[in-house]
Amino acid sequence: MSVVSRSAKAPEYRFDNVRLLRAALAAFVLVVGPALASAQWLDYRTPGVPRVAGGAPDLKAPAPRTADGKPDFSGMWFANVPAKDYCKEAECIQEERMAREQINLGIKLDGGLPYTEWSKEQMVARRANGGREDPHTYCKPPNFPRAWTLPQYIKIVQTPSLMVLLHEFNAAYREVFLDGRPLLEDPNPTWNGYSTAHWDGDTLVIETNGIRDDMWLDIQGSPVTESARVTERLTRVSFGLMQIEIAVNDPKAYTRPWSVTIEMAVQVDTTMLEEICLDDEQDVRLYR
Amino acid sequence: MTIVKPVNRLRPLLTVVGVGLALLPAARAHHSQSEFDLRSKLEVEGIVTKLEWKSPHARLYVDVKNDKGEVVNWNFELPSPNTLMRRGWKRDALQPGDRVKVGASPARNFPAIGIATSVHDGDDKALFTGTTPIYEPETAND
Repeated sequence: MSVVSRSAKAPEYRFDNVRLLRAALAAFVLVVGPALASAQWLDYRTPGVPRVAGGAPDLKAPAPRTADGKPDFSGMWFANVPAKDYCKEAECIQEERMAREQINLGIKLDGGLPYTEWSKEQMVARRANGGREDPHTYCKPPNFPRAWTLPQYIKIVQTPSLMVLLHEFNAAYREVFLDGRPLLEDPNPTWNGYSTAHWDGDTLVIETNGIRDDMWLDIQGSPVTESARVTERLTRVSFGLMQIEIAVNDPKAYTRPWSVTIEMAVQVDTTMLEEICLDDEQDVRLYR
Repeated sequence: MTIVKPVNRLRPLLTVVGVGLALLPAARAHHSQSEFDLRSKLEVEGIVTKLEWKSPHARLYVDVKNDKGEVVNWNFELPSPNTLMRRGWKRDALQPGDRVKVGASPARNFPAIGIATSVHDGDDKALFTGTTPIYEPETAND
């Protein structure tokens, strides 16, 4: 099985002017106290966060643990990509943060994803078509594992028997059962399939089947089908960093099992902000 | 004076984009952005008529005079409100009547629609840019 490993380096905390201003505002709110209500929770200080002197999150601190000693993945997460200052090159304020795997989940894989003849035809045609068939374009749900790479926040809520993943896009959710239940033998296919997880040391191993036959893994349209068994291995390397090995065994779409590893950076002192795609979708008509 | 003019200078990133491959821009978006001609840039000045604060994209509507002196209401796509809020924008960041200069790439098949790449106020201060630069899929496996 081919694995692409990326560095385990913890994300750097960008302490730019905006952050400073936000920190100052947050401190002001804390000092003034409950008499002053914040207009929003964008800068609300997350409790329970390890911090360094000065108040910044200590992203290299050890991963937190639950009462039963398991690693705790709870928190908000976003692809571990730095926010670059693009203004040095052009008249703009900031380059977008986004995972490269959003375009092509196998972008770091030697030789790329091992498409079958059928799935390669699908991907090539979809890519040539400029993404106009992409379910995401039509505001369809953020399906995992693709959802990890989308440019919205994901919030994990972990309990001993259930992990819930909340996604900003369409205010979607996914359940991962930690109560030892087996995978379904004849699942009714859905966007996210059915997920059950177990612990392998400090790694949470999520097994999923029951994914619909027409799902996409990335913008270029790499397929994932009903024949897929997806294994996600989540490791919280530090307080600030989570690594996810995504392994796909889908004989209809790929000639062999493959896996890639992506990284997610924790997001603190902020809040989830919904993005309801159907609210004002105006781009589909432009594809005519 | 309101102007509509093409901008010859492309972002440096655009210049490294290869030829012949399908463009799959990295979308901070719910779509691939291929409905826009991302290689083409235009710049307009005009008066804000509305900042539509909805997902998946906020939209800035701007009255622009064309070469014939006719006023055309442009529809400029911005990132989603949640992205804009994380950059410090608010829903009242621009008001009807505000003068702005917008850099954009036009829709391929529709007039007066574009995806904004920069917004400057009447004093030429940068208010917003940051739709995604073109991003070539490096491992096109074909």
